[in-house]
Amino acid sequence: MSLEILDPTYGGGTAPFAMAGRLESLRGKTVGVISNGKKGTRPFFSALERELLETFGVASVERLTKSNYSAPADREIMAAAGHWDAAFAGIGD
Amino acid sequence: MEFASQRHSAEDFMAVQELFHSRKWTDGLPVVPPTPEAVAACLEWTMMTPDHLVGIEPVRARSITAEKLAVNAVMAGCLPMHFPVVVAAFTAMLQDPFLLHGATASTGGAAILIVVNGPIRTELGMSGSFNALGASDRATSAIGRAVRLALYNLMDVRPGDVDRSTLGHPGKFSYCLAEDEENTPWLPLAEEYGVPEHASGVTVMAAGAPRQLMNEWTTEPAEILDTFAAEIKASMRHYSIWPGNYAIIVPPQLRDHFNAAGWSKADIRNYMFEKARVLRRDWADCGKGAVVGDRGDREYAGLSAPEDLLVIAAGGPAGGFGAVIPPWYGNKSRAVTMAIGACVDCDV
Repeated sequence: MSLEILDPTYGGGTAPFAMAGRLESLRGKTVGVISNGKKGTRPFFSALERELLETFGVASVERLTKSNYSAPADREIMAAAGHWDAAFAGIGD
Repeated sequence: MEFASQRHSAEDFMAVQELFHSRKWTDGLPVVPPTPEAVAACLEWTMMTPDHLVGIEPVRARSITAEKLAVNAVMAGCLPMHFPVVVAAFTAMLQDPFLLHGATASTGGAAILIVVNGPIRTELGMSGSFNALGASDRATSAIGRAVRLALYNLMDVRPGDVDRSTLGHPGKFSYCLAEDEENTPWLPLAEEYGVPEHASGVTVMAAGAPRQLMNEWTTEPAEILDTFAAEIKASMRHYSIWPGNYAIIVPPQLRDHFNAAGWSKADIRNYMFEKARVLRRDWADCGKGAVVGDRGDREYAGLSAPEDLLVIAAGGPAGGFGAVIPPWYGNKSRAVTMAIGACVDCDV
């Protein structure tokens, strides 16, 4: 005798999102970096910031740190992201 | 009853097991087949429609319905009468202060500790006595597992997927206990945190593994609590120095001494708030000298406030064994207490 069973997985819709448009070049752009705030991010993002400025000609880098590294980015960070041309979001331990 | 879930068919009970294992829908143990009839029985018991919204997980914006929660509860071995506790626990977990995504995704490896209070404990045959932290009875085992399976299947909290735990701990199979309210004059945990007297309630906490302790050599409450404080301090030195919710489990043999001396849970919390403290330089004794820096004399409290400590009466009648259950990681997740069978955000 066969058994009929219900699927236990979520199966619902998820919030739609799409990849942001790619930039032709980073030169002269404003780039944001969102750090989760863990200690390991500091040297990594410092090195990344140098690379962006010296190698890619980025105009400015804004590094913002989340108040809770296990939670989504704070509203202030999301508001700041509105005037960035590109953003890096990274984790570090 | 109309269900939104996709339906599958399998030849027999064993085929169901292989289907669920192959799709990573279970935790490695067998499941009860979630037939439409069994799921409907859970929903009828709670008088919920399949599309009843239990809550929305705020980070991934996932709507958790009663139907999906019931499917996972049946799989875990829940009877319909267990389902109200599962609903209340998951509702509590979806509240913002609990930070469900962070607590279940973190490398820290926390599990969801569920503490049940009120008359529903006796209705469900839950025991807060022998083996209180280890499969003490059918209801606690199944309810704790239901929450875990729901995380697997509704939030993708599977090892290596959303669950990035380095180690995890055995509480991830099931981590549920009922407070031993009958054998203590203390207020039940849920009542202390806002659930009305004589109502049933559930408290959830993102928790590390229990750390067992023993002190059978004193009858002085302060000395007994010094042992609990030592365990919290050990956790602060070895794991995380940050303050948060700690739970302590106090068994009958030790409770007798508090009762004789007239100590309430509030007295215990106030004492522990003062005692559970370390200095940053204590890290140097356990291999963490590199992060002591020039702040060695800085004092750290294990509890941000006395109310951070969840004092739980549980355990078998003999033995001076207690336990400290540390938080996942400081204050990032807060314990949440909720009445069972109550409606959240309802206009009444």
